Amino acid sequence: MSPQKTLFHISHSRYLQHETDGDDHPEIPARLEEVNCQLQRLARTNQIICLEPCEAERRWILAIHSNDYLLRFEETALTGHSYFGHPDNRLGYYTYEIALLAAGAGLAGIDLAEKEPHATIFCSVRPPGHHAEKSMALGFCFLNNVAIAARYWQDKYQRRRIAIIDFDAHHGNGIQAAFEESPEVFYLSIHEHPTFSFPGTGYAEENGTGAGIGMTLNITLLPGAKDTEVQNAFTRQIEPALEDFKPEVLIIAAGFDGHRLDDMSGLAYSSMLYRFFGQEIAALGRRHCQGRVITILEGGYHLPSLGESFTEYCSGLLQSTEEVGKCSSVAL
Amino acid sequence: MFISSFMSAPAKTVTPGTLLPEAREIMVSGSFRHLPVVDGKDILLGIITDRDIRSAFPSEVMDERERGEYLQRFATLTVGKIMTAIVTKLSSKATLDDALILFEESKIGALPVVNEVNQIIGILAINDLLTAYKQLFGLGVRGSSLIVVEDDGKPRALTRLTEVLESKQVPFTRLIRTGGSGWNSNGNNLIYIRIHSYNLSGINHALADAGFQPVVPAAQ
Ligand SMILES: [Zn+2]
Repeated sequence: MSPQKTLFHISHSRYLQHETDGDDHPEIPARLEEVNCQLQRLARTNQIICLEPCEAERRWILAIHSNDYLLRFEETALTGHSYFGHPDNRLGYYTYEIALLAAGAGLAGIDLAEKEPHATIFCSVRPPGHHAEKSMALGFCFLNNVAIAARYWQDKYQRRRIAIIDFDAHHGNGIQAAFEESPEVFYLSIHEHPTFSFPGTGYAEENGTGAGIGMTLNITLLPGAKDTEVQNAFTRQIEPALEDFKPEVLIIAAGFDGHRLDDMSGLAYSSMLYRFFGQEIAALGRRHCQGRVITILEGGYHLPSLGESFTEYCSGLLQSTEEVGKCSSVAL
Repeated sequence: MFISSFMSAPAKTVTPGTLLPEAREIMVSGSFRHLPVVDGKDILLGIITDRDIRSAFPSEVMDERERGEYLQRFATLTVGKIMTAIVTKLSSKATLDDALILFEESKIGALPVVNEVNQIIGILAINDLLTAYKQLFGLGVRGSSLIVVEDDGKPRALTRLTEVLESKQVPFTRLIRTGGSGWNSNGNNLIYIRIHSYNLSGINHALADAGFQPVVPAAQ
């Protein structure tokens, strides 16, 4: 029997106060309630340590977003508007503060990863972030939590070479835009083909610009794609690319909306694929980054699948090296 | 929908009396592959392409003496000698569809655009047409996704469909109903809509309530 593993779960009760009321909005507080329920299941076999972050300081947000945008965002929330920019981006009175708290989770995760390099860290946040751009809210996202975290890791801890793996069903246009010219941040995203899927970006031909050419890898999957295609892409494209890049740290943009029961994409992943992601990512973190890996929640809207996929992913991350050795041969 | 918004205007032109070395220089320096040929009143007479000029230019494989003679001849040749007298052109009121059909039929890379009295007013390259359709299709604009539903053959399908989208205030740009023989395994046509929203779940439910089955598109 292997010793008990520890999952550091960074989240905040106030994330539930980001209201997107309306009869049909999929990005709802119940998503995190579902994750919290699943944590109790994980707690049967693992130790769970829950941490609450504080708001990200303004200077870290400003590394990614414009000051003018932040002012507009704050004002839109406080003056009682129901959405920001596009009707998709519904918000409430507290949304601005809560978005700062959501950005804070990644920073808390990084502080922890620097103290405890082999800690398994998952940040369950909302609102999500990977569609948000410098001066534009998009696709339920206001602040780009992952991009803000990457800059923080660079500036505070001098970890210059960062790889971001985004397995949300949708392309993280905001993360790509933030780093497409950077030779130091490698953005790797696997998502549904942009002809079919929101937000219509992330074609395989987009591979970075200027000094960042080659530092963006978009892997596109046709509607209906299943686990095997993803596993092949992961082992044949993502792993060799990271072998060359040799990141110092890894940030994972974890979206669970590629699940076959989630109707926000046409992808048809099973819950078990997320265990594969967990195992492979933990192994990559050990191989390249002395275990310095943090994961930040993005999408995932079909509640039972979100819960199950989250559990599988965390279980994969927590599996020890020997166990992964046994399982990955089965998974492939 | 009119080509006039997408053509290059004014077009760079030459006259029948322009010498080939000069025409060649205009093409190289401006990265043009087609030059309309006009008279002194800008009336369109023909077109000359980079290919025409390349074939008139002496080949690299000739021996030096032969090449020298050819070069001398090239220097005295005029555009009028090698141009194609125009048959294919677009009017200023032509639509993108007109251009698409002409490009497909003529296998030419660029078409001159003329007014009612055949004076040149611009030129439309095939790449300009691609740009136009890209815009029309809403491609490259962040924030859109494609929804595909089966056309069940019941009356007023498009009315019912747009009713759902408009009542939910979902902006959309492209709406295509496939025609002809069936496009999916049921033999039914498909309807493609490019919507500008991320609330796919809400839209899928509303479409299902209106009787539309979402389809997962598959490559043949
Ligand atoms: Zn997503």
